[in-house]
Amino acid sequence: MSLASLAHPRQDFSYGFLDAFAKRELRRRMLKAIAIPGFQVPYASRELPIARGWGTGGLQVTLSIVSPVDTLKVIDQGADDSVNAANLRRFIARMTGVATTTDTLDATVIQSRHRVPEERLREGQVLVLQVPDPEPLRQVQPDSSRAREMHADADYAQMWLTLYEQLVRFGRFMQGASYPVLVHGRYLMSPSPIPRWDTPALHQAAHLTLLSAGREKRLYAVPPYTDVRPIEFEDVFFQVENMAGRICMLTGARNKFMDELPVAEGGSQFRLSDTGYAAKLLRRARGDAATLGATYFDDEGHFYQPGVIREE
Amino acid sequence: MSMPRMTPAELRQHATFTALMWAFSYPGRPQRLPAAGLAAFVAIGETLLDLETGFFTPHHDLAPALAATGGRSLPPGDAPYQFYPQLTLAELDLLVTAPLGTYAEPDRGATLVLGCGFAQGTPLHLSGPGLAQPLTITVARLPDELWRARATVASYPLGWDLYLVDGDQVIGLPRTTRVEVG
Repeated sequence: MSLASLAHPRQDFSYGFLDAFAKRELRRRMLKAIAIPGFQVPYASRELPIARGWGTGGLQVTLSIVSPVDTLKVIDQGADDSVNAANLRRFIARMTGVATTTDTLDATVIQSRHRVPEERLREGQVLVLQVPDPEPLRQVQPDSSRAREMHADADYAQMWLTLYEQLVRFGRFMQGASYPVLVHGRYLMSPSPIPRWDTPALHQAAHLTLLSAGREKRLYAVPPYTDVRPIEFEDVFFQVENMAGRICMLTGARNKFMDELPVAEGGSQFRLSDTGYAAKLLRRARGDAATLGATYFDDEGHFYQPGVIREE
Repeated sequence: MSMPRMTPAELRQHATFTALMWAFSYPGRPQRLPAAGLAAFVAIGETLLDLETGFFTPHHDLAPALAATGGRSLPPGDAPYQFYPQLTLAELDLLVTAPLGTYAEPDRGATLVLGCGFAQGTPLHLSGPGLAQPLTITVARLPDELWRARATVASYPLGWDLYLVDGDQVIGLPRTTRVEVG
């Protein structure tokens, strides 16, 4: 027996870039986050070769859960090809050997900045959302320590008051992205700055959602089949963005979340925000093979779970 | 630059963590661990424990293996991770002192890893997050008093998070899972 036979081959980096202690700590925190849906679990948040605020929270979670048998999709505001998404995807693939894809149906792990894919996620898939600010109470309580006490007491009266004031002053709820939700009837949670369009997709979902804020050093989770209810009044309901009448200029798709593109002559054109879904629609239109999954909203704009989005 | 590869320990810990993650995500569904029997407890220990945390086990053969992770041996009233390969009524008196967390820090509630059998035994009706429909499992070799203690000792968000281990199978019962016996 030689010393060389007992030692690991020399490696430039640990598997998944993070050292064993960092991964073990993240994994401990993730398990607690799944056990207490919506509760913000503090973690150490290590240094990474990208700056905090550029997806380090999601990146640490992804690096801790992927293995070479996984297939990874990374999106930034719905796009697979943005600089942020491309950089993160390349880094994760180099550090883990994970296969990459742009197809939601093929992915086992999806890291996303501020979008949920249009196609419904299934059991066994993990959605990792990057979170800039995990604290839904920030707008009513800037003191983090006090906000944590409010979560401990389930004291969300100031949020309801803010909602009521918005109705009185503007006639509607003014919160766009990061619309606060109540998870498992207990914790108020920021779903990260996903549009309101994506918020109902977290309710009683088949997949696991992990949310992580690297700069703020907090992670939290929504387990599968968990109630995620946007805060609303009994007589004034949460509404998603109105996509009626918007038609994708490339694919002709309707009633999906669209990017708005101003045109020189005035007015706007619209394009599917989910580029992976758009690419499959285009392939199918050309007569090539493309498997399309069921979407959260059908072509008439109806959400797949009746009663989740209530009509006034 | 060559792509880093998983070491055997990394591979084992990743497989164990993946089983534990899905066990909490879908309570009641057995997940496969990369080791069986007492080695399964060791695998869970080396996946979760290091010098930043602590453990308790009354099992004399398991204690040295868990101590080798660097985790501190703590009394059952303080230990965040507790391992009971064969839970007896006498050990249940220790288990019920396990930390439940606080309202400010519910994540300090203990994780309990319990040996049992899944083939037959007491029917447990499960419901809650992670369960699309209520589910019934059978669990043997655990005292019924455990379920009474779990139901009465605290209410959500405080509580214990349970892993039940039989051979190389693990079932998760996070504190959100409602358990009705019989």
